[in-house]
Amino acid sequence: MVATEDHSDSWRVGVLFSQSGVTSTIERTQLNATLLAIDEINAGGGVLGRPVEPVIYDPASDPKKFRAFAERLFQVDRIRLLFGCYMSSTRKAVLPVVEGHRGLLFYPTLYEGFEYSRNCIYTGAAPNQNSIQLARFLLSTYGNRFLLVGSNYVYPYESNRLMADFVVQSKGKVLDEIYVPLQATENDFDKVIARIKKTSPEVIFSTVVGTGTAAFYGAYRAAGFDPARMPIASLSTSEAEVAEMGAEVAEGHITAAPFFETLSSPAARRFVSSFKERYGDKAPVTAGAEAAYFQLHLAMRAIAKCGSDDPEQVLDNLRDFEFDAPQGRVRVDPENNHTYLWPRIARLDRQGRFQIVWNPGVRVKPDPYCVVQSLDDWSVDDQQLIRP
Amino acid sequence: MAIQILRDLRGLRVQVVHPPDSERTKLVEHLRRIGCMVEMQWPVPDCWADGADIVLLAIEHDMRLEIQRLLKSDAGHRPTLIAVVSYEDPSTLQLVLEAGAVAVIERPIRPFGLLTNITIARSLWMERREADKRMRKLERKLAGIQRIQRAKTILMSGQGLSEADAYESIRRQAMSKRLSMDDMASAIIHANELLQYRAKGD
Repeated sequence: MVATEDHSDSWRVGVLFSQSGVTSTIERTQLNATLLAIDEINAGGGVLGRPVEPVIYDPASDPKKFRAFAERLFQVDRIRLLFGCYMSSTRKAVLPVVEGHRGLLFYPTLYEGFEYSRNCIYTGAAPNQNSIQLARFLLSTYGNRFLLVGSNYVYPYESNRLMADFVVQSKGKVLDEIYVPLQATENDFDKVIARIKKTSPEVIFSTVVGTGTAAFYGAYRAAGFDPARMPIASLSTSEAEVAEMGAEVAEGHITAAPFFETLSSPAARRFVSSFKERYGDKAPVTAGAEAAYFQLHLAMRAIAKCGSDDPEQVLDNLRDFEFDAPQGRVRVDPENNHTYLWPRIARLDRQGRFQIVWNPGVRVKPDPYCVVQSLDDWSVDDQQLIRP
Repeated sequence: MAIQILRDLRGLRVQVVHPPDSERTKLVEHLRRIGCMVEMQWPVPDCWADGADIVLLAIEHDMRLEIQRLLKSDAGHRPTLIAVVSYEDPSTLQLVLEAGAVAVIERPIRPFGLLTNITIARSLWMERREADKRMRKLERKLAGIQRIQRAKTILMSGQGLSEADAYESIRRQAMSKRLSMDDMASAIIHANELLQYRAKGD
């Protein structure tokens, strides 16, 4: 993978997405989107006449490998901009390396917030851009008795804490909070299914990530529960996980994200069709992929403006412009390095396709240190209840 | 609830007493990112700002006198104090301790850790304030008990009452005059002092 010939005439960038391991399905979509964006730029003559050259490794969903490959990218491959990471644990492993080499990481994944590094651009959703919207929708549509299920690491804890907060604010109840191993299989969900049967919640909020997602939704389906009355709601179950579980298992469940493959805007259609053209009709196009795609374009536009891939200069230039991403017009907030995004909520239909059920058409400013969001302007007896 | 402290951080008024330089910029930017309302101040002021909940004070050795003057000013209005330091030599530490800082932030400023430090500082500060309040209340109560004890002794020796009767007498009088036991006891002590004075004067 390491290029040995002289590439002084190319913009060499590091790319770290897992092609194996527990979160490889979703990370492959992010890798593919990154490469699609690079192809598009190179087909258009590169940046200032120089092509973009990705240096790619497979860190295999393992934080230690992420760190080792990041070291290698900065020390041996001499990259200055790095694109990658899905799980927070892998971002936390990579960031000190990026900071130590005064590089810049572009992170295209939703996460739990409470982080700012000058050396990181966050292009996925912070909790104020997906959690509050999802909570409101669930509370007004399904009820306020929640059961929380998550993988055993930092993102699920924080996401669940926040969701529990919303539930309590609306005088609802968290019936249980259960964590399964990251490498969970269908057996690990026996206890979860038993708790669902016993407590009969109105909403199951899932922060299960990776291969466990399909296992969980499968176990739910096998138990014969009804998604119309008790859906699984998630921020991370994307087109990639749905492809793994199949349409029949997925039907009726809910996800909140800034992008879905089914968005009908011309920019979204263009992106999805180029993606499918390159990777096949069945290739899932996820919110993580969309962020990976637009963040590469963002970075290259900044390089084109300043004529350098020096991270300081790229940072300064990134903050100045709006970019037409597939999800809508986005912008990096100069105060916190996170991105203005467009919250949306979708329900999976019989074909396993996300159908938008809530789309306010507003762009939300990122607020990564938002400890608690108030549901004050909303109440349980709101008359706009929509039953599915 | 521990998380309440985090909630309250948003909207707290934070005064940053720090020379205007890039460190202060980094500090103020991150405090705003967290959601605090930030005011800047330099040089070191003569007294604590009205309404500041938290003060981040740069410990600069050439400002030693000014810092000490600030520390001596009105103790009743002291905010939660966090020291910002560049050294950890004994003379810096001494100043930090004298200042009564409940947390220390080191320079160069890094975003990571600032939220944790502010949270811990605020939590310790609230606990300390709560403990002070309780201690003052207990001191008042103890002094009250001592006064009742003295009043009982006066009645016992002056009127030949038993301890239980002396107590009962104070209680009855307090009730009929609608006074607290403590105030009644004070009145008895006071009256006794007047009588003693007259006795001596004769």
